[in-house]
Formats: sequence, C-alpha cells, structure tokens
Amino acid sequence: MNAFLVVYLCILISKALVNTVLKYVWQSNPNRDEPWYNQKTESERQRNTFLKAFTDFLAFMVLFNYIIPVSMYVTVEMQKFLGSYFITWDEEMFDDELGEGALVNTSDLNEELGQVEYVFTDKTGTLTENNMQFIECCIDGHVYVPHAICNGQIMPGTTGIDMIDSSPVEEGMESEELFFRALCLCHTVQVKEEETIDGIKKGLQQCSKSSSSSVYISSSPDEVALVEGMKRLGFTYLRLKDSYMEIQNREDSIERFELMEVLSFDSVRRRMSVIVRSHTGDYYLFCKGADSSIFPRVIKGKVEQVRARVEHNAVEGLRTLCVAYKMLKKDEYESVCRQLNSAKLALHDREKKLAEAYDEIEQDLILLGATAVEDRLQEKAADTIESLHKAGMKVWVLTGDKMETAAATCYASRLFHRNTQILELTTKRTEEQSLHDVLFELSRTVHQHSGSLSRDSISGLSQDMQDYGLIIDGATLSSVMKPTEDGSSGNYKEIFLEICRNCSAVLCCRMAPLQKAQIVKLIKASKEHPITLAIGDGANDVSMILEAHVGIGIMGKEGRQAARNSDYAIPKFKHLKKMLLVHGHYYYIRIAELVQYFFYKNVCFIFPQFLYQFFCGFSQQPLYDTAYLTLYNISFTSLPILLYSLIEQHVGMDILKKDPYLYMDISKNCLLRWRTFIYWTFLGVFDALVFFFGAYFLFDNTTLTSNGQMFGNWTFGTLVFTVLVFTVTLKLALDTHYWTWINHFVIWGSLLFYVVFSLLWGGIIWPFLNYQRMYYVFMQMLSSGPAWLGIILLITVSLLPDVVKKVICRQLWPTTAEKIQNAEKQLKPDGFSEFTPLSSLHSSNYRNSDRRNQPQRRSDQLSKKLMYTHWGNHDYCTFSSLSVSDSKSNSSSGLETSV
Amino acid sequence: MMASSYSAKEEDGHPSGAAGTSNSSAMKSKKPDNTAFKQQRLPAWQPILTAGTVLPAFFVIGLIFIPIGIGLFVTSNNIKEIEIDYTGTDASEPCYSCSDKSKGNSTEPTTPCTCEVSFNLEEPFESNVFMYYGLSNFYQNHRRYVKSRDDSQLNGDISSLTNPSKECEPYRESEKKPIAPCGAIANSLFNDTLKLFFVFPNGSKSEIPLIKKGIAWWTDKNVKFRNPGGNNNLTAVFSGTIKPVNWKIPVYELDTDPDNNGFINEDFIVWMRTAALPTFRKLYRLIEKKNSITPALARGNYTLEIIYNYPVDKFEGRKRMILSTISWMGGKNPFLGIAYITVGSVCFFLGVVLLIIHHKYGNRNNSADIPN
Repeated sequence: MNAFLVVYLCILISKALVNTVLKYVWQSNPNRDEPWYNQKTESERQRNTFLKAFTDFLAFMVLFNYIIPVSMYVTVEMQKFLGSYFITWDEEMFDDELGEGALVNTSDLNEELGQVEYVFTDKTGTLTENNMQFIECCIDGHVYVPHAICNGQIMPGTTGIDMIDSSPVEEGMESEELFFRALCLCHTVQVKEEETIDGIKKGLQQCSKSSSSSVYISSSPDEVALVEGMKRLGFTYLRLKDSYMEIQNREDSIERFELMEVLSFDSVRRRMSVIVRSHTGDYYLFCKGADSSIFPRVIKGKVEQVRARVEHNAVEGLRTLCVAYKMLKKDEYESVCRQLNSAKLALHDREKKLAEAYDEIEQDLILLGATAVEDRLQEKAADTIESLHKAGMKVWVLTGDKMETAAATCYASRLFHRNTQILELTTKRTEEQSLHDVLFELSRTVHQHSGSLSRDSISGLSQDMQDYGLIIDGATLSSVMKPTEDGSSGNYKEIFLEICRNCSAVLCCRMAPLQKAQIVKLIKASKEHPITLAIGDGANDVSMILEAHVGIGIMGKEGRQAARNSDYAIPKFKHLKKMLLVHGHYYYIRIAELVQYFFYKNVCFIFPQFLYQFFCGFSQQPLYDTAYLTLYNISFTSLPILLYSLIEQHVGMDILKKDPYLYMDISKNCLLRWRTFIYWTFLGVFDALVFFFGAYFLFDNTTLTSNGQMFGNWTFGTLVFTVLVFTVTLKLALDTHYWTWINHFVIWGSLLFYVVFSLLWGGIIWPFLNYQRMYYVFMQMLSSGPAWLGIILLITVSLLPDVVKKVICRQLWPTTAEKIQNAEKQLKPDGFSEFTPLSSLHSSNYRNSDRRNQPQRRSDQLSKKLMYTHWGNHDYCTFSSLSVSDSKSNSSSGLETSV
Repeated sequence: MMASSYSAKEEDGHPSGAAGTSNSSAMKSKKPDNTAFKQQRLPAWQPILTAGTVLPAFFVIGLIFIPIGIGLFVTSNNIKEIEIDYTGTDASEPCYSCSDKSKGNSTEPTTPCTCEVSFNLEEPFESNVFMYYGLSNFYQNHRRYVKSRDDSQLNGDISSLTNPSKECEPYRESEKKPIAPCGAIANSLFNDTLKLFFVFPNGSKSEIPLIKKGIAWWTDKNVKFRNPGGNNNLTAVFSGTIKPVNWKIPVYELDTDPDNNGFINEDFIVWMRTAALPTFRKLYRLIEKKNSITPALARGNYTLEIIYNYPVDKFEGRKRMILSTISWMGGKNPFLGIAYITVGSVCFFLGVVLLIIHHKYGNRNNSADIPN
C-alpha cells in the first residue's frame, strides 16, 4: 500500500511539474499570459518569476492532491476498527466453558490474518489441553479401558472396567491384579489433602468431588494420570506412611507394602523401579518405563501382543509405558541392596556406578503389560492443523517437551501424517555425523522431490506429494544459528531454511522461550519475508508472540500473560481456523478491494482535472465546484466502499471453512500485487479519459438544450462529476458479490444523496457564499436530453471494459473462488444461500481424506462411531443442499470423531 | 471434518445443568448476540457476472443503443447550420480593415467600424433559427478570469455595488470609484453588434428581426441577476459607480427596455456564464418563424453587418457568427449519435464474442473438477 502511495506521489509531483512547465511554455507569449481581457493585478505582475513558478507548482499540487487518497487512511482505519468487532462478535469463537469470546487487542493486523504463511504453535496448552488422561492399559494382550471419561473428568461412581477383547480368564485375573498393584506402587506420587492445596494447578489432577478428597501430586503428570487411572480401575493408592505404601483394593480392603528401594527415573534409562515387600513377605521389583527400555530386559510375558498394542498406541499419539516385574528372593534382595549401597557410597563415578547397578538389577523381568496415557489434544486441534496445512500454511510446533512426546502429539494432531517422511536434526544425529553433513544430506533428500513438489503445489494436490516433516531440537538449532569461526554460519542458516521451506511441518522440541522467538525471527527475516503467526498460551510463549507478525494468545490455564501480550486472544486453538480461514480471508479481500478502489476512484476523480488544465491555459482552474471537490471522498463515495469493506463475502463462510485451499487463492498478497494495482490505475485513467473527452465532445462548440441556450464551464464540470460519481459507485456495485440490504441502502443511497445534494446545492442562492456559480446548473443540465443520453453513454462506456474483463477472466481463467461461486450459483438457483454445499463437488476427495485420517485409536470402541461418521459424511454430501438445519446437524455429528 | 458450531461433545460431558446454569448469567452478558449482522450472516443476494448473465445485457444494450444512435445521428444531420468567420485577419476578408484598425489601439476605438459579410443560404432554415457568436482561443475558463466577478453585486446587493469583492481585482476600482459590474468577465463583454439582412435578388435589403430576449437562462435572468433597487431609475442607483474600463457605455444604458437593462441585460448574462472551453459560442439572438408556412430564413443571399468593436487579433482569436436550427437534442453535434452507434455495435460484437466463448468454454468449466 505504501509503495502504491509512493507511486501516486510521484504521479502527483510529475503532474504538477508537467503542468507548471507547460504553463510557462504556454505563457511565453504575453498575449496568452496576460491577454487584454484578463489582466493581472500590479502585485501579481511584480512577483518574482521563480516565486511565481513555485506558487504555481504548489497550486497544481493542491489541485491534484486528491490523487493521494488521504481519506483512504481514514477509511482503512475505520474499516479495521469496525471490522475487528466481527471477530469479537463471532459466536463460533465464543467458548462456553471459559465464558469468553475472542479478544482483539489491535485492529491493525486484520488483513494479515489472511496472509499467514507460517504458524508457530506452542504444544502444551495450545495444541493439547495440558491435561493428562489415562486411556487404557494392556495386560497380557487384553485391553482395559476405564470408561466414561469425559473431558478430563470422571463420572462419579464409575469404577468398572470395560473388557473389550475378551473377558479375563482365571489366570488372567492374577496378572491383572499384579499389574494394577505395580502401577499403584511404582511411582513417586505424593498425596495431599484437598484443602491444603486448593488452587494449585500445575501437574495436578483434580478429582471429582465425590470419589476422594485427596489429590495426587507429582513432578510428572503422567504418573498422576496413571495413579488416577488405577483408582478408576479399583486400586486406590492411599498414602505413603512410615515407608509403607497403602493401597485400597477392589474389595475395599487396605493392602500395605513396605517400600524398600526406589530406583528413580532418569532420562537415559527411561525407566524407574521400586522394590517393595508385600505383607506376605515376598519381595517384588516393579519396573515401568519406555517400551524401548523395557522390552530388551523382559524374559517372560506376552511380549508380542503387548508390543503390538504399544506400537498401535504410540501411533495414535498416546504416551505409552510398559510395566514389568520380577520376584526377588530374600537373598537376591540382599545382594541387590548391597550393590545399591556400594554404588551409593562410591566416592567417585557414583552416577556411573549407580547406573551400572540399576542396569544389573533391572534384568530378567516379566512383562505385565503396558499403559497408554494421553495428553489430550484440544478438541479439533487435528482438524485445525489439517486445515491450516491445506490452506498452504506451514505449521511449526515449538515446544519445550522432549522429542518423543512432542512427535507423538504431532502425529496425533496430524501435523505429521503416517506417510510423512521425517527428517531428524537432533543432537543424537549430530553426535554421529557432523552438523554440516547432516544438513547437506537432508537438503539433498528434500531436493530430490522438489521438481515434482513445485508442480504439485501449483495444482494444489498436496496429498499426493511427498510430505516432509522436520524434527529439530534446541541444541542443534542453536548450533545451526550460532556463527561458526569460519563464518559459514550463514550457510547453515540458508541450508536450514531451505530444508524448512520444503517441509510442510516442522517440530522444534526442547526449545527455550527465547529460542522460540529466535526461530520466528529467522523465518521472518528469510528472503520471502513471509507473514508469521505465533500462537501460545503461556508466559514462555510471549517472546514468540511478540516477535511474530501476528501474535495470538490462548486464554488457557496458564494465566493470561500470553493473551494480554497478543494481538488477538482466542479461547481455544480450534478457533484459529475460523480466525484465519474466514476472518483473515475476508479482511484481506476487503482491504485489498478497499485500497485498490480508493486509488481507482481518486484517479477517476483527479485525472479529468489534469486534462482540463490543457484547455484552460494551465491556470489551475478546478473542473468541479468546491463543494463537489470536498464532498466527493467524504460523502458521495465513502460509505459504499466502507460498507463493502465491512460486509463483503465473495464466498460463503462455510465454504471457506470447508475448503481451506481457498486460502491459497489470496496468498502472497496476490490481490495487492503490482499487476492488479496497474490494472486499477489504468482503468481509472481510462475512465477519466472517457469522462473528460466524452464531455468535451458533447460540449464541443454546440448547444445541448432545445432552447438554444448555452452551458458554461460549471455545467461541464458537473456533467463530468455526475458521470464520475455514478461510474465509480456502479463499479463498486459490480464488484459486490454480497448484496445485503445495507449494501443496497448505501449504494443507491449515495447516488440518491448525490442527486439530492446537487439539486439543493444548485437550487438556492446561498447567502453565505460569495459566489453562486452552481446556481441551477444541475437542474439545467438535467433538463437537457443530450446530457442525459451523454451521461448514460459515458457510464456505459467506462464500465464496459471492466465488465468484459471480469466476464472473460471468469470464463477462461477462473480463480478457485470464482469456480466456487459458479458452482454455488448452479446448485442454488434461488440465490439466497447461507449454507452452500460444495461437498458434492468435493465429495470424492473429502471421503478419501476422511478415510485416511480417521482416528484409528480406540478403533474397536469407536467402530460404531466411525460407521456413523461415514454415514454422516455421505449423507452430508447428498442432503446438505436441502436445508440449513440438515447440514448443521450432519456436520456436527461428523465432527465428534475429529479429536 | 468441517468445524461449524460447538461440538456437542463438551456439553455432553457436563453433569448437565448444574455447571451450566450457575454461571450462565455471567456468561450471557459476554456471549455475543446471535444476530445475523454480528455473525455476518445477513441474507444477501449474490449475483455473479458470468457470460451467461452478461450476454443478454450486452445484446439489449446493443439493441437499444444502435437505434438511439441512428436517431441522434439523423436528427443531428437534419439540423442546418452555417458558420461565418468574420475575424478579418486576411486582407481579402471584408472585415480586414476593421481588425487592422483595432490592432492599433485596442481599448478605445474612436469611431465604430462597420463591415459587411455576404453569404448565401442554399437551403431554407425552416424552424426557428438561433444566432450565435463564437470566439476561439479565448480563455473564458482561465482561473483568474473565472473568479473575477462578484455575484452578490450582480444579485443587486447595494453594499457590494459600492464595495465590490476583492476577486474583481484589477477590475475593481477605476478613478477611485467602484466598477459596476466589476471583474474581468464583465469588463471583457462582447460588444460587436451583429445585424442580418436578407438581400433580395434586386439588391434591396430587408433587415431580419432579431429577438434579444430569451437567450439567457430563465433562473439567471430572474433570480441570480438583479438590478440593485429594482429595474427603474438605474441611473441613480449606479451613480456612485463607474463603468468598466473597456466599456463605452455604462451598464444602465445597455438597453432601453427596462426589463433588459442593467445587470439583467441578457447579452450581459450570457457573457457572464463562462464557457467551458477556449473555443466557444454564445447565443446572441433568436430568429423566430413568422408563421407556419414561411421558413424562418428563406433560401437566398444574406448580408451580415457587423459593428466591429471586439479585438481578438492580440490573442490570435477568431470571431464567428453561427446560424443554426435546433432540435430536441440541441445543436448540430454528430458525436453523440456516432458514439451511441459505436458503443451499441461494440456491445453487440462483444455479446457475440462472449457467446462464442461461452459455448466453447462454458461446458468445460461447468463439468471440470475444481482442483484442490
């Protein structure tokens, strides 16, 4: 926009200069400068020539200054300010749970929402609810699911188990109970009475009131979730008292285990163990840990079934842990104790020795089963991310979590698909190879497909092309960013960016808050200068929210710091979809039209004045009356475009949401490119030429009235102005796709206002004016037939090229939006469409993607639901055109599966 | 797949009622209204400019414009107009002597110079004839010139009469007296007198009566221009003022008819309406048909007698006398007719082109899949 302004400023100055120069060339003949009939005053004559030239230049500047649309800035500001209310008002972005809707902290960025290319999102609390949930456990291949989990809350009084695969046989019961006990014992959870910790939020699982008054606290939310889950399965961990752990079993009797040793968790071993002595005097070692660290140590148990289940769960994005145990005999226990003690007492290399001791102890385990815990994704997070992907945005997840967890979430949220090729750029890899080699290798991999990639991205068929996902961790990132001594860091950065450009999704784990900002900055500064958006909920995201072009805060559990520092605050991650795809899109097309239209209408306005100078001796004679000059931008043409820029919808809201591809239609600022700008400017110049020369030939040395009387220069100007106002307003009417009563009101109202104003302005001798030049000019003009015919002709001619261009472009090179409009039209001949189905056009495609993306996890449980969804989708395709209510109900039924 | 409204999921989970109602009052105040406007769901008409919809419009425009254009063109061609340039820059021209003289001392020609131009009408001018004078290269639209007038003075305001607006400079005061009417426009009032004679074949002349009323806009004559203190006794009213420097007679002696004297003199009013372009014509006189049988101007020879006062050589101007009949669409101007025919044909042509495009590519578009 500012670049356009500079161009117009140049045009203005050159116009003024050209006219000034021509004026002096023309005036070189004294009879022209000062003919006998039109002499100057003494003071004018005596003025310095240079000074005169300068004042002339300034006078031309004043005459043409309207070409710099000052009023545009006012209108743009108003549009942004008023437009931002639509975000606040949006009911769909209102969250019932929080009781809050979206907040707009700045209205400057509305249109940037339509231009986002990179989305940086936080994981915990943004993608996920920051709320661990025990999902299932698998004991010897049998799957147990505590049912009735709803939104992180436990229905009171439901402690039953759903046995899905088969009812447990007798010998199953034993290992089942052992498994539950193992989970109840193998942890470092502390129990606190509810009253004392009221209000503490983090890592804490709130129990529902009826079941217990105590709360579990642990450094790891997973453990809490597990213990919670056990409680629901009937085994309640009560407390640790005098090194005895108390468990309430299903029969409501209390079992006590003496806690002998804790082999605490560390991230190298990725497991932990406890050694307990039961009341019978048996020593048990319970071990729980990541599958990769448990399976090699297992000697017995149904490894294959459990492994299959674990893998299945991991793919679903659940955090899995395996549980194993072994019985220790008394002497074994004593040797273990000795080993541990000697390691603990070692003076040097204590950690190494401890690790060795642990390693030795945790051997020859018997596999009990596996658990699955979910950090629940926010509802529709996956759907949102998928839409953003389809909309051509690159989604980066920046998280402080460790890689595996983050990757699992990414899979769950469909940031990575199963066919996404993951490129890893992690410390683990860079330890093996040098950073340099890794980077080059990755970029080679990426570029193998770049040929096909670019072709595919043009046709928009993102599904067929090879997706790349990059995983990078904080340490590697800092070494990529860090300037090396030989100064090749720029190179690394470039290669890194090159890789990132080709990845549809990037996961950055183990990030420090400042690193988040750093990475946003890196992308912001890359050579395409993409528009970046950062979204987060916590204080650690503030730096990146501030760094990105558009910062969005989630009003989450971690306080309101992010929301307060952001440009927009939304209650949930899912609202981002509507924010970008609908509001962003609308704001962008609206502001684009607003800006272009303003330039256009002012070119139309001023260019005739410029031309008139050639016929009035370059004397700065205005073509239009002062009132017209003043009111043109203020009242005759301001409201239609302002209202257009507030309520225009070229495509329905629901279609925008359904078809994220439409977002690509407007990417890269395509509606404000130089080509469109030049088109509008030339259209303006063409129209101005039509107005001026049309009127010129109409007035050329003849009379227009049937009584032979002549018109003067003010009639000439008024005729041009009338054509101008009508053309410019009708041009907007042609551009309007969404005619509400407001549009009708302002467009026809403005024209009517112009006519009424002109009649009034010319109808009275205004006592406060020292000139009456407009007296009856408008009426006299309207009383003349040829003037009417001329006005109609000129309006037609000036609108013609734009209409032809539009029709031909639509017919031959339609944009996606236009195709959809056509389709809409065909399907809805009545024209009144709020919900316009596009699914029939897309149906095959949608069904495919649905099938592919159906959540497979808990598939047995959900199988009924899946059927329903399929039915729902098919149904939607066929019936949605019938009525609004139908499509609404169908779509919501289809939605349930998407989280 | 499409997120449309709140998912029902959340609400299911709640022990329904309890949580919902307790804070619903607080929520309702914050919850945005579900009005069509706020949710951007106003019912709307969504027209699209497609070849299909525009095609008929183009043909209709073509079909309407071409007949109008033909009508206008024929009307314009039926208008009779004759233009006589009497500037006299060339020695062979009859008015050369007058113009040569006016070259010498332009402002105050001592004796009026009269010249005669003869012309022949080959066809009679049947209906009422309008007589114009035309000037070219005369910049009535020059900014300094256009604003050099005082409309309140012309409207009969007494205080403006004695104290004209500053805009009139340098034609505001002369000999310490206010000029009435002040300003450059008034000062340069066209003051050639034109008379028209029919020359009978025997050589005798008969003057054709020229009507000098009805040449100015009715509103100008009756509302915008007014004599100070009514139309009577103008001499007294204008006594404190002085005539414009270039004028030979004061404003209250422009005509003997009190209804056409002073500021409401129609020649003066016509002149005061500044022309839009440097080449212009102004209505001078009307020649009315005497009865329905005889034409206003019969075929034959005519003589135009000019009392040549107005100097135009200095700025290389030309002076013309135009006789023209008038139709409902004004004077002779083929532009409008031609433009209508052209635009109509272009529309028709575009309609055909669009029809071809529509038929050739239309089907393809409608059946084609939308690439995603």
